[in-house]
Amino acid sequence: MIVGTRKPFSEIKDVVSGDSKILIVGCGTCVAVCLAGGETEVTILASQLRIALGLGGHDVHIDEAVVERQCDREFLVDLSKKKNVTDYDVIVSMACGAGVQLLSDVYDQNLVVPALNTVFIGVAEGPGIWTERCQSCDNCVLAETAGICPITMCAKGLLNGPCSGTRHGKCEVNAEIDCAWVKIYDRLAARGDLECISKVLPPRKNSRQAHPAVLTHEAYKRRFVKDEKIV
Amino acid sequence: MRKSFKEALASGKFLVTAQIVPPKGMDIGTLTPIVKDLNDVVDALGIADNPRAVMSMSPWGICRLVLENGGDAIMHVSCRDRNRIALQSDLLGAASLGIRNVLCISGDHIRFGDHIDAMPVHDLDSVQLLETVRSLTQGRDMAGQKLVGIPEFCVGAVANPEADPLPPQLLKFQKKMQVGIDFVQTHPVFNLDNLVPFVDQAREKGVKLIAGVRLLMAEEVSSYKDGSYPGLFIPEDLLAEIQGIKVEKSVEIAAQLIKAMREKKLCDGIHISAPGHEGKIMNIIKAAGI
Ligand code: SF4
Repeated sequence: MIVGTRKPFSEIKDVVSGDSKILIVGCGTCVAVCLAGGETEVTILASQLRIALGLGGHDVHIDEAVVERQCDREFLVDLSKKKNVTDYDVIVSMACGAGVQLLSDVYDQNLVVPALNTVFIGVAEGPGIWTERCQSCDNCVLAETAGICPITMCAKGLLNGPCSGTRHGKCEVNAEIDCAWVKIYDRLAARGDLECISKVLPPRKNSRQAHPAVLTHEAYKRRFVKDEKIV
Repeated sequence: MRKSFKEALASGKFLVTAQIVPPKGMDIGTLTPIVKDLNDVVDALGIADNPRAVMSMSPWGICRLVLENGGDAIMHVSCRDRNRIALQSDLLGAASLGIRNVLCISGDHIRFGDHIDAMPVHDLDSVQLLETVRSLTQGRDMAGQKLVGIPEFCVGAVANPEADPLPPQLLKFQKKMQVGIDFVQTHPVFNLDNLVPFVDQAREKGVKLIAGVRLLMAEEVSSYKDGSYPGLFIPEDLLAEIQGIKVEKSVEIAAQLIKAMREKKLCDGIHISAPGHEGKIMNIIKAAGI
């Protein structure tokens, strides 16, 4: 899932303080699960803004909405049906960076501002705690590295073993965090699979991670790709 | 006649190298006499590449100073600040300046330095950088393109015998030897037994092991303890011993370590570092009876 955190309130307030009609749009998927941009968080931000802007003497009207997935055009159709989006001075998106951008594309007459910072792709470790696991590098080496991503879990993204800073199994950057390469080594050693990391892994193929990336599913290529171009 | 580290490596003599940290700025006034003095007694001076991610002059600048004053230099090349194009380009530039020895390192993490918002690059890791240097010396760049004029480098890698746990560290060391290195320089070592697996494996492959020796200063004890120096792991009893001691005693401790390593034949040479106190390196060499 994509993990995000809400921006500091003062930052959001400053961006919208000149506007009188505000629409706050949450997202019901990843950022709702990580308690940053779902329905509850939309309600909280709306209340905070009503109070703060009201106390500042602003005559402000704030509406709330939540779409199931802000990163999918299909779900924005529903938003357009429920709200006359162009009526608003500003749309505050509580989605990840992808959701904010799709909202900006679809409502390109409107000012769309983010209320979250997108932090990482990760997993839920337990209630209220998430850890980063993937950098979407399009170069997955997890088969060799015991299912532990050295690009993400090692602070230097090293592919061929630890740096010189490992101490008591912890990372040189943060003594609270396990050294990824110690974990990889231990997991493989326990399985008798150290052979997996005995060969030199080649440098990453950064060209695969060309930005902005586009992925068209094979089955849909006829519909979306003509003469090698996305249509 | 200029010194040649490569010849020293081949000669079988006990090697002596020392580390110089380039200045933050253009003033080499303090460094020049130290470099001149050390050039007479060491086989090469290792010139650090922005150690601890603290921005300083590029190591080429000081490598040139060493070469112009009759010594030989080992240029440290860190993967932290440059992508593969910049690394190869800088290696060719270094070769054109007469630099013939390189030490390939991952680089201390940016969080230790003075530009904490900089982008850590690590496009290559140190093993891949070693492969790259090898490829350049064989006349090809990483993309397989032919070079016009081929650089020559004597290639070194680092290992840390004080890292904990050791097996993953040894695995990486083996990969480095698999790629092909001329020498390995270790981080400072205090538990001399930890050198044994490294020196055994190095000798098996005909690689020279240069053991790290560091001048420990009483006023830096708290930084040693709080992990401000990545890769520098000092045993508790030694930390207690250096509390409040004078620099002469610090020199003595470093010299004793060198003597013990030599006596026990735990290395083929030593690399002395005394960041910020380079003037004391000569005292250590003398006290160790080299
Ligand atoms: S200590 Fe381990 S996890 Fe941390 S940077 Fe070094 S190799 Fe990576």
